[in-house]
Amino acid sequence: MVDVQRVLAADGSVVGAVPDMSDCRLRELLVHMLRVRCIDERMLKLQRSGRIGFVGSTLGLEAAMIGSAAALGPMDWMWSGLREGAAAVMRGLPLDEYVAQMFCNSNDTAKGRQMCNHFQHAGSHYPSWSSGIGTQLTHGVGAALAAHRRGLDEVHAIYCGDGASSSNGFHSGLNFAGVWKAPCVFVLVDNGWAISVSSRAQTAAESYAAKGRAYGVPGVEVDGNDVLAVHGVTAEAVETARGGGGPSLIVLKTYRMLGHSSSDDPTRYRDPEEVAAWAERDPIDRYETFLLDRGVLEAGGRERLAAATLAELDEVIRTQEAAAPMSTRTLVEDVYAEVPGHLRRQYNDFARIQESHGEARPGEGAFPL
Amino acid sequence: MAIEFKLPDVGEGVAEGEVVQWLVGAGDAVEEHQSVVEVMTDKATVEIPSPATGVITALHAEAGDVVEVGGVLFTLETADAPAVAGAASSTETAAQAAGGTGSGAVLTPTPPPKPVGAKALATPSARRVARELDIELSEVAGTGRNGVIRRCDVEAAHGAGGASTVGAHASTMDVPTGAGGETRVPFRGVRRKISEAMVRSRDSAVHFTVVEEVDVTELVALRERAKAVGAEQGVKVTYMPFIMKAVAKALERFPQLNGRLDEQAGEIVRCHYVNLGIATDTDTGLLVPVIEGVERKGVLALAGELAQLAQSARTGRISPERLKGSTFSITNAGNIGGIHATPIINHPDIAILGVHRIMKRPGVVEGPEGDRIEVRQYMNFSTSVDHRLADGADGVRFLVALKELLECPGLLAL
Repeated sequence: MVDVQRVLAADGSVVGAVPDMSDCRLRELLVHMLRVRCIDERMLKLQRSGRIGFVGSTLGLEAAMIGSAAALGPMDWMWSGLREGAAAVMRGLPLDEYVAQMFCNSNDTAKGRQMCNHFQHAGSHYPSWSSGIGTQLTHGVGAALAAHRRGLDEVHAIYCGDGASSSNGFHSGLNFAGVWKAPCVFVLVDNGWAISVSSRAQTAAESYAAKGRAYGVPGVEVDGNDVLAVHGVTAEAVETARGGGGPSLIVLKTYRMLGHSSSDDPTRYRDPEEVAAWAERDPIDRYETFLLDRGVLEAGGRERLAAATLAELDEVIRTQEAAAPMSTRTLVEDVYAEVPGHLRRQYNDFARIQESHGEARPGEGAFPL
Repeated sequence: MAIEFKLPDVGEGVAEGEVVQWLVGAGDAVEEHQSVVEVMTDKATVEIPSPATGVITALHAEAGDVVEVGGVLFTLETADAPAVAGAASSTETAAQAAGGTGSGAVLTPTPPPKPVGAKALATPSARRVARELDIELSEVAGTGRNGVIRRCDVEAAHGAGGASTVGAHASTMDVPTGAGGETRVPFRGVRRKISEAMVRSRDSAVHFTVVEEVDVTELVALRERAKAVGAEQGVKVTYMPFIMKAVAKALERFPQLNGRLDEQAGEIVRCHYVNLGIATDTDTGLLVPVIEGVERKGVLALAGELAQLAQSARTGRISPERLKGSTFSITNAGNIGGIHATPIINHPDIAILGVHRIMKRPGVVEGPEGDRIEVRQYMNFSTSVDHRLADGADGVRFLVALKELLECPGLLAL
C-alpha cells in the first residue's frame, strides 16, 4: 500500500514536517485558497441567476489547487485538467480576464470560442483547457520534452482527474514522459467522482499512485486537503524534474464538494454522509486553525480576507458584465491572416440578417468586398 | 427600476423548471446574490439568486408551477440602474436594448422563447432526415432513451404518414402552394397537452387491443324505460351510465385492469374503487374528466353527473381537479361512427374501453325451438390494455364479463 503524505491532520494539528516557509508565504497560501473559494462561490451565483452560462465548481479542492500550483516557478507551465482556473489566477491570469471569459464578452481572450469556465493565459504559461478528457497529458509531455530539447529550464505541471486516469492520454502521456524523462509533474486530483463514477470504481489498481510504477514514473499519494503536504510534495517533484530526474505522479486525495458542474446534481448518485464526512476535512478550516495556532493569522483575519476578495471580485464582475459582447466579426477571423473573399461574403450576409433582426452592434458592419 | 427576472437556462439546455419553493415573499428586500427561489429542472434542483439588490415586488409563479426558460419568475425593483447594466432603462427589453445601443449590458440574458414545436428531443441524424422528409418532429414519437426521437422513428413516421394517420396535416403539406393555399394552426395549448399525453402513453404503455361484439337488444329496451324514468326527474339517460356500471362491475372481477403504474415506487397500484375517466370531445379538444366512485353510484346518479359534465365541457369550465385520478377510462365514439378502434390508454391507467355505435343487424337467436334469425341490435367494444401490467387473457376475460353484463343488463342489479 502507498502511504498518504500529510502534514496537517483534519483538525489542523501538525502531524508531519512543516515545510520551511516564511510566515508571509504561509499566509499567502491561505489568501489564495480563500480567493479560489470566493471566486467559485460568486461564479456559481452568477450562473444560477443566468448571468453566465456554466461553472465547474472547485469547492473542497482549494488546497489541491493552490498547494500544487504554488510550488511552480514563474517560468513553469500549468496544463489544466478541469478545475485549476483560480490557481491560474494566483500564477498571473488576470482576474478580469477570468471573469471576462465567464461572460464570453469582448475582453475574453478566447474570443468566445471556448465554453465559459475554460481559461487560458499566455503570460503565465497556461494553455487553453480542453473539455476532452486527458488530451492535455500528451500535449503537456510533448511541450515538456520540447522545452528540455531547447535547453529551457521549464517544468510542466500536468493536471488531470481520477476519471482521466482511464483515458488513452494518461497512458500515452505517462509512458512517453517516463521513456523520455520529460521534465514534468503529473498532478492527478482524485476528487472522489468523475461526474457520477466513483473514483473507487475507476480502477482495479491498489491506488492511482501505483499506476505510475508501470511507466517507471514514481507515484506518491498526498492528502489533497492538506495544503502544506501538497505544496511540499509538489515542490520536491518539480525540483526532481528540473534537475533531470524525470517525471513523477502526485495523487491528491480530495473531494469535490459540489456537482461536477452547474448542470449536475450530485445528490442523485452519492451518499450525503460521504459528503458530510469530507466537509469535516475542509482544507481551508484546517489550514486556518494551523495559522491561528502559529500566530500567523489574527482572529477574524479569514473573514476580512474573504470580504476584501469579494469586494474586489464584485467590482470586476460589474465591469465585465457591462462590457460589450464579443464582436461577431471574430467568427471569420484568425484562421487566415487576411479574411478571404468567400468568408467576407458569408459574413456580410450574416451581418445583413443580424441587422434585419435589429441585433447588429456597432463595429460589426460588413467587410469591404 | 424594475427588473423582470426570467428563468435562466441553469443547466446547459434545460427547457423549463418547476418552482419548488419561494425563499422570499413579494415585498421582501433582497441582496444581490441572495437566494430567492428554489427551482427543479430535469437536471437538478437549484437555488436561484437575485441579480441585484432591491425589493421583490411580484412573484409570477407559485410553488408547483412549471416555468419555461425565459419565462418571468419575479419582478425586482432596484433603487437605481444597476451598475452592471447602466444603459438598459426598461429591463423588459434589456437584452434588445443592450444589443441596440451597443452598451453590451445584458442583465438577464435569456434566449428568445423557442417556438413551442421546436422542443422535440431528437438525435442529429433524426433531425436531418426529418428535414429531408419534411416531417414535423413534434409529431414523431421517440423510442430512444427518455423519448428521444431516433432516425428510425422518423423513418417509421414517414412510412406511417403515407398510410394516413396524420391525414389533415399531410394533405395540407402536399397541396402545392397556389392551389388554394394552406392554414397554419399554432401547435400549443390543449392540442399540445393532448399530444404530450398521447406520446407519453404510447411511449410507456405497451398497447394491445381486443374487440368484442355485444348484443345490446335488451339494453336498448331497458334504456328506453330508464329514459322515461329519467325524464320525470329531469335527467337525460344515455347508454353511457349503463356501460359505466357494467365496467365497474366487471372491474370488480378483474381488478388487474383497475388502477395505475406507480413508476417511482416500482409498484402496480390496484384500486378498490372505480374512478372512470370519460373521454370528452370539447371545442378546445379532447378532455378526460373523471367520475369518482362509480361502483357506489346508481345509473340515474351517473346519468346526472354525465349531463353535468357535458354542460361544463361545453362552457369550458372543467376544473383541473376533475381531470385527475382515473383508474380506468372510457372513450365513446359511438355517436359519431366507426365500428372499432384502438383506444390509447389514458396514462397512467392500465386499460381503456372504446364504445362504438349500435347497429341493427340480422342475428342468430338460440331458442327452445332451435335457432332463428331476428333483427337484433349490436354494439362493438374495443378495450386496450397495457401489456406490461396485464396479459391478453385478462383483457379478453374482462371484455367477456362486460359482454355478459350488457347482454343481460338485469345482472347489473345483482
